[in-house]
Amino acid sequence: MSLRGKAAIVGIGETPLDRLGSKPGEPRKSTAEYLAWATRIALEDAGLSHKDLHDQGLAAIYTTNHSQPFWPEEVASIIGFTPSVALAGGNGGASSVSLLGHAAAMIAAGVVDLILVVAAAAPFSEHGRTRAEPMDTRDFEMPFGVMGPNCKISFVKSRYMYESGMTDDHFGKIAVTGRYHATLNPNAYLRKPLSVEDYKNSRLVSDPIRLFDCVLPANGGKAYIMASPQRAKSLRKPPVWLLGWGERENPTAGPRYRANPLITGIRECADSAFKMAGVTHKDIRCLNLYDDYIPIVMLQIEDLGFCKKNDKDFFEKTDFTFKGDLPIQTSGGMINCGQPSTTGGMLHVIETVRQLRNEGGERQVPNLKFAIATGLGAVNYGKNFGCTAAAILGNEV
Amino acid sequence: MAEAAAREIKKPLPQMTPLNQPFWDGARNGRLIMQRCKDCQSWVWCPRPVCGECGSDRLEWTELSGRGKIFAFTVIREVVGRALRGFAPDIPYVTAWVDLDEGPRFCSNIVGCPIESVHIDMPVEVVFHDAGEGVTLPKFKPRS
Repeated sequence: MSLRGKAAIVGIGETPLDRLGSKPGEPRKSTAEYLAWATRIALEDAGLSHKDLHDQGLAAIYTTNHSQPFWPEEVASIIGFTPSVALAGGNGGASSVSLLGHAAAMIAAGVVDLILVVAAAAPFSEHGRTRAEPMDTRDFEMPFGVMGPNCKISFVKSRYMYESGMTDDHFGKIAVTGRYHATLNPNAYLRKPLSVEDYKNSRLVSDPIRLFDCVLPANGGKAYIMASPQRAKSLRKPPVWLLGWGERENPTAGPRYRANPLITGIRECADSAFKMAGVTHKDIRCLNLYDDYIPIVMLQIEDLGFCKKNDKDFFEKTDFTFKGDLPIQTSGGMINCGQPSTTGGMLHVIETVRQLRNEGGERQVPNLKFAIATGLGAVNYGKNFGCTAAAILGNEV
Repeated sequence: MAEAAAREIKKPLPQMTPLNQPFWDGARNGRLIMQRCKDCQSWVWCPRPVCGECGSDRLEWTELSGRGKIFAFTVIREVVGRALRGFAPDIPYVTAWVDLDEGPRFCSNIVGCPIESVHIDMPVEVVFHDAGEGVTLPKFKPRS
């Protein structure tokens, strides 16, 4: 079954992001408070009330520093309602985009006509237990001093530079574009203008990954509400439709024991999403791409099919700003807006909705009809992301 | 002395499981072994109950030469996460993806040479390091 036009996003909620708790004695909020806060904002945005959630659906995303095995039910108890279906986002940073498809399928099947998708994390203000790690990481990376994603994406960036000839000028251009958009986004955290020189002068944390390649951890909560077409048309804000969608878990480019780490599962997600949506690359005028690291944004632009692999020339010539040829990261991305652990990817869905509603303010992409949001999670041993998802959203069916 | 040793923060060691035990037993005996599928001949790494290419459970632990080339590498300059604080005294050090001559990619450390001399495509060979508590880690040094 195609999910095209079967459900729409009707409400979005984003709490301010903060880093409270990083210094002793600061006032702090808990994950539960961010969850309730984001839900309240999303309900208001949709013109719905708390009682409209009764007997409807819930989708909750697991967070690294808080969740336990019964997390979706605990989230229902935090928000205070009794869902008739509970979905779990169990694929990290890809969850927000994966759940677009999972929620739409439930709605299309008629199980419910509203689903609240909500996620929060407070890594600075709530110091959780030591996290459980995938067995490959625990047994075959950590004993060698692999410092998490910084180290693993450094392998990817080092190979990308070697094969493509990209330099820190290319990566710097993407970093500067994101920060420029952040200066125009009142919800962004880092809003001071950045130059390519600033990027190149930022310290190496794991060569060749620099500080300004890296995402900014933060506390915060985010939510969106999906509705059936009938319900969507009667609510406060214009619906933003799910038109195309694709997910791949445990993807591999080549044999699993030696995959190409420069090709992500986004390539196959995009194939599915474009086929479902029935639109072409020329129709898409805005990309909000999962950005835990700058080079990953570039790999996704390639894998979505907007240019060839290793296309230095394309990255040099294209204007990626909101008024440009192919606007990307119009919110400033998680790198500038902050990443509350595995829930950070919600930002890209929320920003895509804002843009398609013409609510982008000073950074609004003109005459926008179709846009893409992506999600990525779990950096796998010897390759790249284990969890991948892409969605094409539009303001008309 | 004993007090200083007690204060030393330990590095994480692999958790031995029925699935990965043969690999670590091999390393302790100076052998680099990995699973190979008897049906499609594909290598299987990291350890799995079935072949990732064809799904067969007819896997056989097979010895490799321990020779390969650096596919990608990084210089670790900062500790990230409490679990890895034990590596602080080693910084800066090199972690790398080594593509072994037989095919599989292995994540390890490059040792026995100046950091500045490490480069992609550098030929390397395995060297076995005693990490304590009965664990031996296969690391890699430049191949002459």
